[in-house]
Amino acid sequence: MKRSFLDPSPGTLAFGGLVFTSLVLVAIGPPSARKPWAIENASSPASAPSQVAGPDITLVSVSVDLPDDTVPFPDGPHAAVINANCTSCHSATMALSQPRLSRDQWKAIVEKMRATYKAPVPASAVPEILDYLTAMSGKLPVNGSPTAASADRSGGTG
Amino acid sequence: MGSGALLAAPALGQGLVDLALPGGPSSRPTSSSFPEKGEMILQRARPPLLETPMEVFDQGVFTPNDRFFVRWHWADIPTSIDVQRYRIAVRGHVNRSLAISLAELLRMPRVELAAVNQCSGNSRGLFQPRVAGAQWRHGAMGNAKWVGVRLRHVLDLAGVKPGAIAVRFGALDQPVVPTGPDFTKSISLDHARDGEVMIAFEMNGEQMPLLNGFPVRLIVPGWYSTYWVKMLNDIEVLDRPDDGYWMAKAYKIPDTPHANVAPGTKDFPSVPINRMVPRSWITGWADGQTFSYAPELPVGGIAMGGDAGVAKVEISGDLGRTWHEASLGPDEGRYSFRRFDMTLRVPHAGSYTLLSRCTNTNGVTQPMTPNWNPGGFMRGCVEAARVRLT
Repeated sequence: MKRSFLDPSPGTLAFGGLVFTSLVLVAIGPPSARKPWAIENASSPASAPSQVAGPDITLVSVSVDLPDDTVPFPDGPHAAVINANCTSCHSATMALSQPRLSRDQWKAIVEKMRATYKAPVPASAVPEILDYLTAMSGKLPVNGSPTAASADRSGGTG
Repeated sequence: MGSGALLAAPALGQGLVDLALPGGPSSRPTSSSFPEKGEMILQRARPPLLETPMEVFDQGVFTPNDRFFVRWHWADIPTSIDVQRYRIAVRGHVNRSLAISLAELLRMPRVELAAVNQCSGNSRGLFQPRVAGAQWRHGAMGNAKWVGVRLRHVLDLAGVKPGAIAVRFGALDQPVVPTGPDFTKSISLDHARDGEVMIAFEMNGEQMPLLNGFPVRLIVPGWYSTYWVKMLNDIEVLDRPDDGYWMAKAYKIPDTPHANVAPGTKDFPSVPINRMVPRSWITGWADGQTFSYAPELPVGGIAMGGDAGVAKVEISGDLGRTWHEASLGPDEGRYSFRRFDMTLRVPHAGSYTLLSRCTNTNGVTQPMTPNWNPGGFMRGCVEAARVRLT
């Protein structure tokens, strides 16, 4: 098929800056107790991986190492507080990759982490965490930022 | 920190990509450091969020296992799986509780199906106004040939009792904080027994990567990935609605056409996210890429019908005023990606915006206008692919 119907249009693509860092991760929480059935299903690696065979397929036991990243929240006021409280469950990159959010929006997220996901973040640390996150968002351009209120009936994730 | 920049870890980040998310931050490291994975866009290391680079979708309608996207909710993921000790519990409102071994599962009647697995929040980073969450571009999706056992078969072995209404699925991952909500999802009993929902043990002809759910994951064709529970080891038949967090609170969409509400809407009736919608992407170039001018421009890509097959894909070069039907590649099944191609005659050098639009076999066509909801779910609008010919 050949067509000729194109209209020229202006098009530009912006590329953001980039920064590398080699700081170390500060805090990782202790592993929690395994589910009862997890003990049955998971195992330490044996010398030769065990197998289960069926018609036309053999499943081979797997043992892997999952890499972590070493990117903490960058230096700034209250960086120590956010690194101590907000990296046990997830990499700092989860927050660092967010779009510009208002203090109220960050507050809704931090409170969701505490109330719903049971993050062991003391209430006394929340204002300093919000200071840090709001300042971080403040460095992003206003263009494209959310205008929505913090209320979220979707429950998020995905 | 640099304005708009995402910091890259030297140990994990081997390159950088720009996802061109409006307002940023847009830069992401790429990494080949994850087990059984090739080069992926590193959205988050722990728990892993790995996005498939768009060029992978130009190489075939099936996404290689080592490039297939990865998404986990909790960081406590087993790193060792012993296939001889693995059991899948079937319990709850059944006549006989079962603990099915993989050896037993591999002897059961099999079904094979090609199906797209797409994150509910795929393309969330393009929502405007922007919304919080994993900031994916389009690569939180993949297509594979899945082989496994019909869920219906396993339910029949256990014997579902009268009064059952839903089936809930649990897995080996667990909350880092013990009191946090364990990740479980459920579907209606009728859906669970439809003969398409599958317990898969094979992905594109091989066992699946651990990060994609080894040794078995649920396949829910036509539905978003949140239901495709990885490392599935618990199947619970319910005689009551699932009021757990992941069904009752999370992954909820507005109960409106296209899950669309006006930006800033605070309150609306909501339902659990469910069936996917048609989508299509021109994959022959990265958005905004520059090429030497030639009078003919090949325009190709992939389309999906969502919860139905792909009926047609059309291309527009005039921002949607006129549309021209592309030719479709082989039909790998209604839930699969489908290739489309067309050759355009380009009058002269310049910048061009190409649009692709899929219509599925239910007659549903991608809208021109993006939807918006606070969760950043279910994007399905026509996408633009800009190219500069010099």
